[in-house]
Amino acid sequence: MTAGMARNGDGVAVPATRRTSLWQTALAKFARDRAGLVGLTVVALYLLVAIGVWFGWWATEWADITGAKWAPVSAQHWFGTNIIGQDIFQRGLYSTATAFEVGLVVAVLVVVLGGLLGATSGFLAGSWVDEIVLWTMGVVDAVPFYLMVAAIAFALADYPYAMHVAMISTFWTTTGRFVRGEVIKLRGLEFVEAARALGVGQAAIVLRHVLPNTLHILLVQMTLCFVDAIKAEVVLSFLGLGVKDGMSWGLMISESTLEFLAGHFNNLVAASLLMFGLVYAFNMFADALQDALDPKRVA
Amino acid sequence: MQPWHRRLFFLRSIGGVSLACAVALAGGCGSGVAEGPGRPTLPGPKTFHHSFEQAPASLDPVQATNIYANHVVVNAYDTLFAYKYLARPYQLKPNLAEDWPEISPDLLTYRIRLKRGVRFQDDPCFPGGRGRELVAEDFVYSLKRQFDPQNRPQGGWFWQGRIVGIDAWKSAGSDYAQDIPGLRALDSHTLEIRLTRPYPQLLDTFAQGYSAVVPHEAVACYGRELGTHPVGSGPFKVVAYDTARVVFERHPGYRQEPVDLAAEGYDPVKQRYTGVERIAGRSPPFVDRLIIDFANDDASRWNSFTKGDEVQLSALPPERAEAVLASLNPVRLQPEYAEKYQAYSGPEAGFVFEVFNFDFPDFGYHPDPARERRNKALRCAIIKAFDWEARNASWYFGLATVFPGVIVPVVPEFDPALSRASVTRDVDGARRLLRDNGWTAANLPVLVYGQSAGVKQRMFYEQFRAELKQIGWPPEKVVLKQFATFGDLSRAWKESRLPIVAKGWGLDYPDAENTLQLFYGPNGSPGSNDANWHNVEFDRLYEQAAVMLPSPERTALYRRMNQLVIDDCVGMTGLARNRIYLWHRNVVAMPDREIVGGFWLKYVDVLPPGQSARPEGLGATG
Amino acid sequence: MDVLQFALRKLLAGVPLLVGVTLLSFTLMVYFGPDKTYELLGKNSTAAQIAEVRHELGYDRPFFVRYAEYLRELATLDFGHSDSTGAKVSTLLARSIPVSLALELPGFVLGNLLGLALALTAAFHRGRWPDKLIMGVAVVGMSVSFLIVIFAFQIWFCTSHGLNWFPVRGWSAAGPLDYLAHIAVPTLATVFVALGYNTRFYRAVIVEEMGRDHVRTARAFGTPPLRLLWRNILKNCAIPIVTRVMFTIPSIVIGGALLIETAFGIPGVGRVTYEAIISGDQPVLKAVVGLTASLFVLTLLVTDILYRAVDPRVSLQ
Repeated sequence: MTAGMARNGDGVAVPATRRTSLWQTALAKFARDRAGLVGLTVVALYLLVAIGVWFGWWATEWADITGAKWAPVSAQHWFGTNIIGQDIFQRGLYSTATAFEVGLVVAVLVVVLGGLLGATSGFLAGSWVDEIVLWTMGVVDAVPFYLMVAAIAFALADYPYAMHVAMISTFWTTTGRFVRGEVIKLRGLEFVEAARALGVGQAAIVLRHVLPNTLHILLVQMTLCFVDAIKAEVVLSFLGLGVKDGMSWGLMISESTLEFLAGHFNNLVAASLLMFGLVYAFNMFADALQDALDPKRVA
Repeated sequence: MQPWHRRLFFLRSIGGVSLACAVALAGGCGSGVAEGPGRPTLPGPKTFHHSFEQAPASLDPVQATNIYANHVVVNAYDTLFAYKYLARPYQLKPNLAEDWPEISPDLLTYRIRLKRGVRFQDDPCFPGGRGRELVAEDFVYSLKRQFDPQNRPQGGWFWQGRIVGIDAWKSAGSDYAQDIPGLRALDSHTLEIRLTRPYPQLLDTFAQGYSAVVPHEAVACYGRELGTHPVGSGPFKVVAYDTARVVFERHPGYRQEPVDLAAEGYDPVKQRYTGVERIAGRSPPFVDRLIIDFANDDASRWNSFTKGDEVQLSALPPERAEAVLASLNPVRLQPEYAEKYQAYSGPEAGFVFEVFNFDFPDFGYHPDPARERRNKALRCAIIKAFDWEARNASWYFGLATVFPGVIVPVVPEFDPALSRASVTRDVDGARRLLRDNGWTAANLPVLVYGQSAGVKQRMFYEQFRAELKQIGWPPEKVVLKQFATFGDLSRAWKESRLPIVAKGWGLDYPDAENTLQLFYGPNGSPGSNDANWHNVEFDRLYEQAAVMLPSPERTALYRRMNQLVIDDCVGMTGLARNRIYLWHRNVVAMPDREIVGGFWLKYVDVLPPGQSARPEGLGATG
Repeated sequence: MDVLQFALRKLLAGVPLLVGVTLLSFTLMVYFGPDKTYELLGKNSTAAQIAEVRHELGYDRPFFVRYAEYLRELATLDFGHSDSTGAKVSTLLARSIPVSLALELPGFVLGNLLGLALALTAAFHRGRWPDKLIMGVAVVGMSVSFLIVIFAFQIWFCTSHGLNWFPVRGWSAAGPLDYLAHIAVPTLATVFVALGYNTRFYRAVIVEEMGRDHVRTARAFGTPPLRLLWRNILKNCAIPIVTRVMFTIPSIVIGGALLIETAFGIPGVGRVTYEAIISGDQPVLKAVVGLTASLFVLTLLVTDILYRAVDPRVSLQ
């Protein structure tokens, strides 16, 4: 990180020491946080599962009919089979990849969108650009989440990423507001003033000097967003507004509603456990990350 | 509905008296609505609490498009004809009509006389709030409403092009002051209907909610809100309605018509267990209050039913079949259920099926005859890959009937001897067919499987994809396209945008013509021929049969048409679900939700809790 | 500074927001939204009939005419009739909004009060085992999907697979016991899910407040804990707490609890809205979205005024 900053060639005094200390302290603090480390390890394990799915190492038969209807738990079917005889364990594993795909796409794009718009509006606070961004945030926040998402999913008809678009267009405002606040604080600081005095363009200042200083906020927002996206996916898929192609925990849970009456809960249990594991681990990781990155945060 | 806490208390309190009750009952049965001695009966009106899986969208007869709406509409309103309560197969009977119509020898003119003294339910929309007598003009008015676009009517297709002058009346602006030559009230109690060509199903259409009689005062008074505020002359008056339930009260002015069991088609062998003999000679309706819960969630509906003091009649969710049924064929209950409930099983009047859309050159018609032949092989191979038995086992717990062709088991023209090859899975045959016609994984087309949003529909797709994989169809070439609303899916069908159309069809009347018209060329999109199948021979036979009265000759034509559909591999067809109903033992009923619609509800009687409608010595299913 | 003048200015500032929200929601939900035409058609329809229905529904009119119509409806609060049942939209909402309120209010109040109580406990024992336990459980609560909680509770409390204590679906508020029986499980589920978030939020706010100099000073001077709590902590935490509570209100009043209402078959406004979405019932959708947005703007205003009431330091500027 520091190396990257030192190389920028504007000749502006980069507050390298402040930066260095923040990230170094954060790392040191995180390394001491046992819960956070356990969380990170579990998340990494899930990621490994997802990578295996992407590369076709396992869960390749998730769509095939490999057994009888509602086969019980066995060595062959670790979580039994579903109503049409598909292996629930493989479907659960496959869904891990979906969860990461949804979580990562949404989290990254939310942070990019929220970061850019928030930084721009914060940097130009008080101007008409700021007004428009604030207005947009207000509008988006005023529509209830599920209504908004449903509406976008409908408007985009059968576009496979309708759900992603819907989540991104509603989630970005939180990040945007945080970044805006931080940037307003930053823009009064010396190094920005200095860059401006040296005639560095506004876009360059935002991109090179201001945004990098909000990285810790973006990182934390990204982890929170990841969790939110996974949880929202479950509900949206249940409502029929979610994942179009493939398999997900949300789809498995909605599938399980077809089985309650007959007294079969394998789908529900499998999807719930797998999802809980990832979300819990991620929450612990996000907590530790927040503690580490925010010196003021009270733990 | 009884809350849980009161129920717990109640159960404890009746424990002590139930024995006394049983002894007293064994002494003298059949005293009609005798009250159980030794225990206070529940206060309040006699109530029948029914349940349904879906709420009707509107209670306006012009929009009574499905069985859910019909169930409510035919109880709030009256129709000229109705289906007999107990006769199976279904038979018509005069309802508002005094008798059968006089029909001219050329089958084009019908004269129908109405009963006298039939009164609409009291409602503030009438002068003085008192319902007036129903007259022939009311029927003319009600049918005109189906041709007035302002009402957003859905049933006009029954009569358009068939009743003389009705289409002209509509295109002239639907002016109710104008007469329709083919639809006239000769006097206050006589109707005359003139047809452009013979229409053997005409009287069936007059037994539908679509043709129920609405007083113009109610339309003037409630306007669009007629859809939530019915005012008819039927046996029950709607007092509350929302998407969760409808509540009716007895129409006190309903005409006195003692039940003649023989005329209703009573079968003493098969139906005695229901206890319907108790209603002989009495005038319906027999309950003061009728509640229908709309619970689209099977689990909660079933829980409500088995609680004992809530819903009294429910369809058996297939998921519970294994626990509840001792045998499938014939349907028999497990002893602990037979103890508490009565049951009935019968095939649905309709079917589910999936057809190819011949507008798509990948599967259907193609300018190149050689390709068209290969396309047929493709369709036939998919049909062979399709596993109806797996569908039945997964989703209907083996309770459905898989049958070849499009003539459904419930109609008299059904042919049980037809070859089952078209509904038998044959993976090797399918593979061979593909290979022999030059189809490989590389050149097979992409199949788009359109469905409405919903997890079950999604699973249908997954099942289909897995089955196709087994004949060598690459899974990535089977694509799901889900539509958020049924309306959007329906739009895709009507705009011919889906290569495979999977749908269910409920019969409007018990005549195979109603399903054969799904394949009649001129009914192509946006009509109901979703396959857009155009077969010259089929269309000729259809037109020939359409004007014939029921006869062995007509049945023979129907069956030839059926064979044409099978031979051209038009689609995977079909499956008729079996409905199994359970109801509490103190309810006297022979339920049915098919053709008869809601006509049976007025015949339901309810005995005090603890009593049984079932005569001694009979089983729960007769 | 006159409060009325302040309120008027705030209200005026809310106008662009209202325009934005109505425009966005109209475009998404109405213009591109579900199409009712094909649900209203008979089984064998012709192209002419399709055009007729579209005309009846007003789909053939230009965008801005329809949007203007929408604004007029919003201004007069007359949303016409549902495209599905023909019922008056106002009747529909008047029937379903009280149900949603009665359903959600207990869970909302309980969730917040319990959250506050737990947060206080945790904050007062900061760093020791009660804090760790409470916060650990809070993360568990945050990690379980609401959907799973609903299903699990429903199966456990309402069916024969579990305790079978409560009605599995339906709605009745005929008597207090009846009402309690119907809201018991939905309330439990709501509280379970909200508790984690609420506890964490309140704890963070309280801990921050407790770290301030004046609280530390008061503590050092031996102010009794209850007085300390009331005077020095809760009063100063009021702004974030009020904000959080206030901004949940629009979604409770109009949005309803979609998942709860669907799972328990409760005829509240959430279900009405969802059914409207599914069936393309635009008059109902328009009403729900328009009212939510207006209420949101109103909430902004009221919150601003409340800020001043709880904390005179906040200027009306």
